[in-house]
Amino acid sequence: MSAVAALRTFAVSPPARRVHSLLRHTRSARILSWVGFVAAWQLVVPLLPTDLVPTPSEVAVFMWNELRMDTVAPHTVYESFSLSFQRLAVGLFLAFAIGVPLGLLMGMRRWADWFLHDFVVVGLAMPSLVWALVAGMWFGFGDLAPVVTVTLAAVTFVVINVAEGVRNVPKELLDMGGAYGVGRYATIRHVIFPSLMPFFFAALRYGLANAWKGLVLAEVWASTEGAGWVIKFWYDAHRSQGIVGYALFFIIVAIFIERIVFGRLSGWVFRWRPSDDRRAPEPEPADRDEPIPAAVSAATPGRR
Amino acid sequence: MATIKVQDLRKEFVTDTSTVVAIENVSFEVGGHEFVSVVGPSGCGKSTLLNILSGIESATRGTVDITEGDRKAKLGYVFQSARLLPWRSVIDNLLFVQSSRGPQVRARCERYLDMVQLSHTAKQYPGQLSGGMQQRVGIARAFSIEPDLLLMDEPFSHLDAITARSLRRELHVMWQETGKTVLFVTHDVSEAVELSTRIIMLAKGGRLVADLPVELPFPRDPASDAVALARADLLRRFESLDLLAT
Repeated sequence: MSAVAALRTFAVSPPARRVHSLLRHTRSARILSWVGFVAAWQLVVPLLPTDLVPTPSEVAVFMWNELRMDTVAPHTVYESFSLSFQRLAVGLFLAFAIGVPLGLLMGMRRWADWFLHDFVVVGLAMPSLVWALVAGMWFGFGDLAPVVTVTLAAVTFVVINVAEGVRNVPKELLDMGGAYGVGRYATIRHVIFPSLMPFFFAALRYGLANAWKGLVLAEVWASTEGAGWVIKFWYDAHRSQGIVGYALFFIIVAIFIERIVFGRLSGWVFRWRPSDDRRAPEPEPADRDEPIPAAVSAATPGRR
Repeated sequence: MATIKVQDLRKEFVTDTSTVVAIENVSFEVGGHEFVSVVGPSGCGKSTLLNILSGIESATRGTVDITEGDRKAKLGYVFQSARLLPWRSVIDNLLFVQSSRGPQVRARCERYLDMVQLSHTAKQYPGQLSGGMQQRVGIARAFSIEPDLLLMDEPFSHLDAITARSLRRELHVMWQETGKTVLFVTHDVSEAVELSTRIIMLAKGGRLVADLPVELPFPRDPASDAVALARADLLRRFESLDLLAT
């Protein structure tokens, strides 16, 4: 049932059944949970003995002013996120430039897997905070520390996913290419690379999620600009709505990347994946028993 | 026309704890325009034999000579499952195995797709096709390189009986029309009798135990008395060789 139909049911039901009927539908239940959360937040905050917890309306007003570039911060929200995105892009590029060859090596050569495995596990287990602090100590304030943090936070996800992807290249397709004498370049381009794509996407998703957190931390500790640094600016200014507002900007950007960028990109890359409504049915038995049409003979070359 | 000469072929698979002999001293010859079926119980080395002939696997010992006149023969391979690239369209799957490109090659691929009555699916992806249609694409792919020799490894074993019957008829027509030499692996004696000019029997351990001509006129109706008698005769031979019990 659609959300509209659920609301219609709500309108005609006794009050006790109205909420229950809404909760029985995924979309209306999710909307209801958010509405309830924001309403509770708005009502509870004025009762707290502190003015350091902002109400949703204060956060909304802050975010609106930031979007209108009406801010006391030294950089607008657009400048800050633009810089952070540049650092993220460079760091992720480096993570893939380093991680893909290492992952290929680990996937193809057992000795490389044995040699690098423990380091990869350590990298996966390492909190982004540690990379941010270490990079800040090594490189000081500037672009380098955030970029290095992004790279270190993402590279192990790239290595482990690419290695796993190489191990999962379908052997039967490689054998098929071999039986037909398909060349090495065509095999890499048309068999190995496409079968690695799901693993590239997994690497990109997990690497980005980890790198995004590392970037914020690095900008807090080791930068004088960028979205992470602006959060610290509002922290220093004791403006909690600024911290929460920027956190929401981060969430909105992350959702945008996940849903719009990755969603559309993966939809295009994996357009070949079947959906039930696109799969051809087996022809009816009556069709099969028909004799081979004359077109078969007519189309056959080299007939004797 | 392509000919196959297999001499003293042996294939061993060595594991950490043991050595398994898949093929043991197999020798046979196949002449041009023959349709030879290799039959035998599961695990008797039928698929291994085809993999060695196609170059996917190497023999432990022995020689394989596949020639077309005085040159090496071109091979087409139809696998048990279609083994199509799921990310490439049907026509691109055929183009993938071609040694050259160009409008003539594309036209040839389209012609063979038409032969298996799938020209309307050329731009679709394999995942959008049924299992039987995918296998027909696999057959069209094998024919599209215009091979001298066609290797087929239980191509209809994963399909339902009706689709398999339809594809057997299509294959028979294509074989008669194109004059290819075919080596066809199957565990189905009825299928072998219906399609073949000759049947090679392998036993467990990869031993060649019989090499018999099938002297029945085409087309062969699988429900006819002649085919039923030939099938019964072959099954008796299997039983006398204790092949079915192993």
